[in-house]
Amino acid sequence: MRSCSTVDVLYAVIPLRRFRDWLIRAHMERCPRCQARLLSRDEAQSLLVGPDRVGGVEDLWRRISGAMEPAAPVRGRTAEARSGWWRWAAVPAMAAAVTLGGFWLLRNVEKPRFEAVAVASAERFELDYVKVAGAPAQTFVYQPQGTDAVFVWVSKTP
Amino acid sequence: MDEGDIIEGCLRGSLVCQKAMVEAYGTLVLSVALNVLANRQDAEDVSQETFLQAFRHLDRYDPGRSFKTWLLTIAYRRSLDMLRKRRRFTQFTARARYETPVAVERPDPVTADAAPLPSRLLEVLSPRERTALCLWANDGYAAKDISAVLGCSASTARVYLFNARRKIKALLENDHEILQHG
Repeated sequence: MRSCSTVDVLYAVIPLRRFRDWLIRAHMERCPRCQARLLSRDEAQSLLVGPDRVGGVEDLWRRISGAMEPAAPVRGRTAEARSGWWRWAAVPAMAAAVTLGGFWLLRNVEKPRFEAVAVASAERFELDYVKVAGAPAQTFVYQPQGTDAVFVWVSKTP
Repeated sequence: MDEGDIIEGCLRGSLVCQKAMVEAYGTLVLSVALNVLANRQDAEDVSQETFLQAFRHLDRYDPGRSFKTWLLTIAYRRSLDMLRKRRRFTQFTARARYETPVAVERPDPVTADAAPLPSRLLEVLSPRERTALCLWANDGYAAKDISAVLGCSASTARVYLFNARRKIKALLENDHEILQHG
């Protein structure tokens, strides 16, 4: 009696199915008191609809035969399905091809497609004169250190 | 015609064997669907779909296993699908609940109550518990066989069955007490 209460509490408190199963097998299936609190097979049958009470299956067969496609032997279809195995193999093959193609594209896109042609550095930069609005302008020439770039800044003479 | 002959015939597409299969297992499938769904029309739809699916995929049946269990597994899964479909439909129609009905729905005098339905007490059970109880009571299935149909472990199936038996017994005792003491 006391153990039944303990088992009930444990069953309610610990919702682990394996543990509950163990409690059922270890105690509840063996204890007459616990068994008395369970629905018997006869009681269950009186509440359920048994196969003997559902009636004939003629109507069910009529519905099934009406909904069936023209009979094709399942075995024949199996052989046909087996011969079409390549369709299933085509899917991973296609996926692999797409992946490889993607990698190839990625590698090629990341690379600079056109290498910048190194321009021969000018040995000397000459500027005879610069005019702005028809008048000689002030000209400034910059060359950042360590580069071949040359900036020319021109402004109107005040 | 025994089970092996029927299956062999169905694999060849024989209509006679298909009919024999429906005759052999129709009531069983219908009773399981009816006990899970508690609706005759839905149960018939599920039974029809179960057999159609079984005929289409009979090549997937493993002869090493019980054919009855295989068929009942399909019936159980189709019943769950039907319950989901019904739930979606209920959610959809819930919006129109407060609209005044155009015509009062009367039960069809011919079909209403023509076929037995499981007790309303079973409504407290989940579909899994109801299936477990049905297989145990009607077909004498043990936890291991029930687990094959439900697609779970034998431990889980045992717990479903135990919960179902205990819940319904408690309800029955409660009803009895109410009747005794008013």
